[in-house]
Amino acid sequence: MILLHRLASVVRWISRRDKAEAELRSELEAFVDMAAADHVRDGATPDEARRLAALQLGGFEQVKERVRAGRHGGGLDATARDLRYGLRQLRRSPGFSTIAIATLALGIGGITAMFSAFDAVLIRPMPYAEADRLVMIWDDMTKLDITTKLTPSPAEWLEWRRLNTVFTDLAITQSVEATVSGDGDPEQVPARSASWTFWSVLGVRPTAGRVFTEDEDNKGVKVVVISHGLWQRRFGGSPEAIGRTMSINDERYEVIGIMPPKFYFLPARDVDLWVPASMPAWMRTSFGWHSATVVARLKPSISLSQARDSMRALSLQITAKDLGGGHPVLVIPLREEIAGRTRTALTVLLWASATLLVIACVNLTNLLLSRGAARGREVAVRTALGAGRGRLVRQFLTESLTLAALGALAGVALALPAIRFLERLVPEAMGDAAPLRIDWRVLMFSTGVAAVAAVGFGLVPALRGSRFTPQDAMRAGGRGSTGARSHWFQHSLIVVETALAVVLLTCGGLLLQTYHYLRHNDVGMRSERLLTFETPVFRYAKDFDQRIAFINAEVEKVRAIPGVVGAASINLIPFTNSANATFYLLEGQSRSQTVGQVALIRNVSRDYFTTVGAQLREGRPFTSDDRKSSTPVAIVNAQFAKRAYPGKSPLGQRFKFGSLGATGYWYTIVGVVNQIPESGILNETKPVVYRVYEQSEQISDLAAGIVVRTAVDPESIVPAVRQAIWSLDKNQPLAHIRTLDSMIDRQLSTSSQSASLLSAFAALALVLASLGIYGVLSYAVTQRTNEIGVRMALGATAGEILRSFTRQGLGLTMFGLVIGLAAGGVTSRVLTTLLYGYQPDYFSTAAAVSIILIVVAAMIAMAIKNAVSKKAEAPALAVTSVPGDVPR
Amino acid sequence: MGRDEKLDIPQGTLDLMILTILTHEPMHGYGISQRLAALSRDHFQINPGSLFPSLYRLEGDGRLKAEWCDTENGRRAKYYRLTASGRRQLEQHRERWNRACFAVTSVLEGA
Repeated sequence: MILLHRLASVVRWISRRDKAEAELRSELEAFVDMAAADHVRDGATPDEARRLAALQLGGFEQVKERVRAGRHGGGLDATARDLRYGLRQLRRSPGFSTIAIATLALGIGGITAMFSAFDAVLIRPMPYAEADRLVMIWDDMTKLDITTKLTPSPAEWLEWRRLNTVFTDLAITQSVEATVSGDGDPEQVPARSASWTFWSVLGVRPTAGRVFTEDEDNKGVKVVVISHGLWQRRFGGSPEAIGRTMSINDERYEVIGIMPPKFYFLPARDVDLWVPASMPAWMRTSFGWHSATVVARLKPSISLSQARDSMRALSLQITAKDLGGGHPVLVIPLREEIAGRTRTALTVLLWASATLLVIACVNLTNLLLSRGAARGREVAVRTALGAGRGRLVRQFLTESLTLAALGALAGVALALPAIRFLERLVPEAMGDAAPLRIDWRVLMFSTGVAAVAAVGFGLVPALRGSRFTPQDAMRAGGRGSTGARSHWFQHSLIVVETALAVVLLTCGGLLLQTYHYLRHNDVGMRSERLLTFETPVFRYAKDFDQRIAFINAEVEKVRAIPGVVGAASINLIPFTNSANATFYLLEGQSRSQTVGQVALIRNVSRDYFTTVGAQLREGRPFTSDDRKSSTPVAIVNAQFAKRAYPGKSPLGQRFKFGSLGATGYWYTIVGVVNQIPESGILNETKPVVYRVYEQSEQISDLAAGIVVRTAVDPESIVPAVRQAIWSLDKNQPLAHIRTLDSMIDRQLSTSSQSASLLSAFAALALVLASLGIYGVLSYAVTQRTNEIGVRMALGATAGEILRSFTRQGLGLTMFGLVIGLAAGGVTSRVLTTLLYGYQPDYFSTAAAVSIILIVVAAMIAMAIKNAVSKKAEAPALAVTSVPGDVPR
Repeated sequence: MGRDEKLDIPQGTLDLMILTILTHEPMHGYGISQRLAALSRDHFQINPGSLFPSLYRLEGDGRLKAEWCDTENGRRAKYYRLTASGRRQLEQHRERWNRACFAVTSVLEGA
């Protein structure tokens, strides 16, 4: 009851304050009137009576203040008043306030945004049960040319499942081509075949329906588990989807389960369906068929290193009878696998943003110290007028906290758009299942750090000022309270922030150099205005000639589109795929010599190399003479030539690949092309052999990629391309329509993002550091105004005085530079994974950073010069002016 | 005893005295202070800086209710009136005060 009354009273007080104040005033006036009337009755003159009455009341304002303070909700009022006062103080020195708030906003906004990305990718739980117990297993093929980390074979997986002692279970998934047709447009969707153990290993259940059983997997029953997205898209989210059938590659599959909306797994977030692995008998025993992605769950008692040791031994034992001897395996935590290189990028960037926060706080500290010293006089005056220590502390505290709060607010305003930009750092495997959110804990933390700096150093003047007697402080002209000690402290802060900025600049420079190298690295072809897409040709699986005819017809149709300069086909679009590798056998070698001789195979149409603009090193391109009936020929890349025929021309040499047995073709090398990074722009280039479709063995290679060189914007011809393909077969799906340039950008996005973000952080750090140096030095100038005046009067030239200031500024900057370069050299080691094997030139970066720093130092010197020469113009004024009154 | 040598109002008793004075009739602030001085035979002189905060607090707690009325001299003033809850609190306060007085007196006499 009483609580209600109090609450109502508070509400009244807040909502009708003006009225309540007026009422209080009239009530007190009534008091005085009545008291005066009584005094008159007692015989006083009216004036005398009013004076006595006023004395009796004891001062309107004092009584009102006490009533206000005593009221419920009165505390609120006091806070509001403090806040207003704080804001007024900040408004009074807009330059200082703007710089301080902007500094804080950069520091707080930067780390808040970065942490939201870090959290989404590396901290937030992944959609699996006990995700930290999950690992991926790869064949360690260090001995092969082709790769170090190779997808294992299903046969290996079967053996591991049978013999391992460290996992509760293992699952495999393999890539499958899936064209969904029937209701609606034909659509090629990303799909995987999975072993029935897939869901139990991950600890994931479908939101509706069930997953397939061991029995269904073994018998090859046509059932499918679909993604939430596909369910929405093709079934409109209807609960009746379970039990319906859908057409996949022209076969009917029963929909038995729907996955949760947030589910994702390697290789990409957009996988839309999972069908039983149902491995044919040959696949179960073929150790050379490296097609599987293996995920396993560690037994509760087993550590990662135990699993590594055990699996290494097991793999060597299983593969001991292989042609080239056994190979070990790599066991890698799933989180590491999914985050990939983003992990390093995010960690580096988070540290960079933390550094920026430190610099921001250092800067704020410097600003507050300088300003505080300049306010020594104000403090002294207030103390003289009777302001107590508590009163002063409270005032400075309010100002500092107001600063920190405004800085945090501006920080959030910065972080929100920054987060949209950072979304591009989320790995493909997570996609939109890992949305970025402002992390309030980090925002609170960084604001707290800023508040501590603001409060800690904002209070210095209040505490220092009230320690001296007012006479001392006033006598010293407002500068007596800063000693050599605080100069020393401020100068070391400058050196620290300069050094930190230099470290960031150096690292940013190295990443920029790397990105520039990667982006302008020769990709072996002209990537601009090149459209690529895939057309799965499973409908022609049985008939090889028909398949080739269809692909050629596709190319012809596309070539006829206006704006198209040329079109050609390659089974796997460049930069996308490390599959289709083979051993090769050079003429004269025995079978046992093929170990370690691995190359990628690509089947192309005859004019492929001209269309993509590949550069031929020697020999000839494919011609119309290279037909099915003629002598099989091959074009190899330079890497292959170097590896297989070191020091001599490979032209005219014969070798076998694909099928090495007696029935395999002998291919004659007719040309050597420059490297094209078939398996991805960031991956090492590997030996590759190219042959025309007509001369390939008739194995069931059911992929067909089309590349189109256009004279116009490639995106603009996409509708025409669809119509061209559908004019051949209206049920033919097209997949992955994109330009080669966009593919390169996508693959370099981690590199470009981390380079640009780190450089941005570095640039901001430099700006903050120079502001800090300028602030401290210009403060020193104003503080030493008297001294300058005296020295000028005694005959010192402006130049001499200027030199003494700039020497100090340069000295500090250079000291910071040296420390920063040394620290940068050490720090840049952690960047290794972001350099993709490229060795950027540390010394040129360091030189560039040094030049930037010297330019900045020169600019600061110029600014200081202006400040000094203003004093120098009027020495008399300088002597007589009071430093405490300098504009802040 | 000179004018300047008023007694301090013992802590916590101001509310009790205000509530007591208001039992008989509604009064304004000046009236309360005059009545208090008279009743205490001028031993207590209440400072308005203490009186008004107490009145506002008691009103906020619902012990008092205030209304603007005309005084006998035709001036408007804010009159405070005891509410039912104020009456209850007065009884409690009074009972506690009596016990405290009795206890203190006992101690002083017993010593």
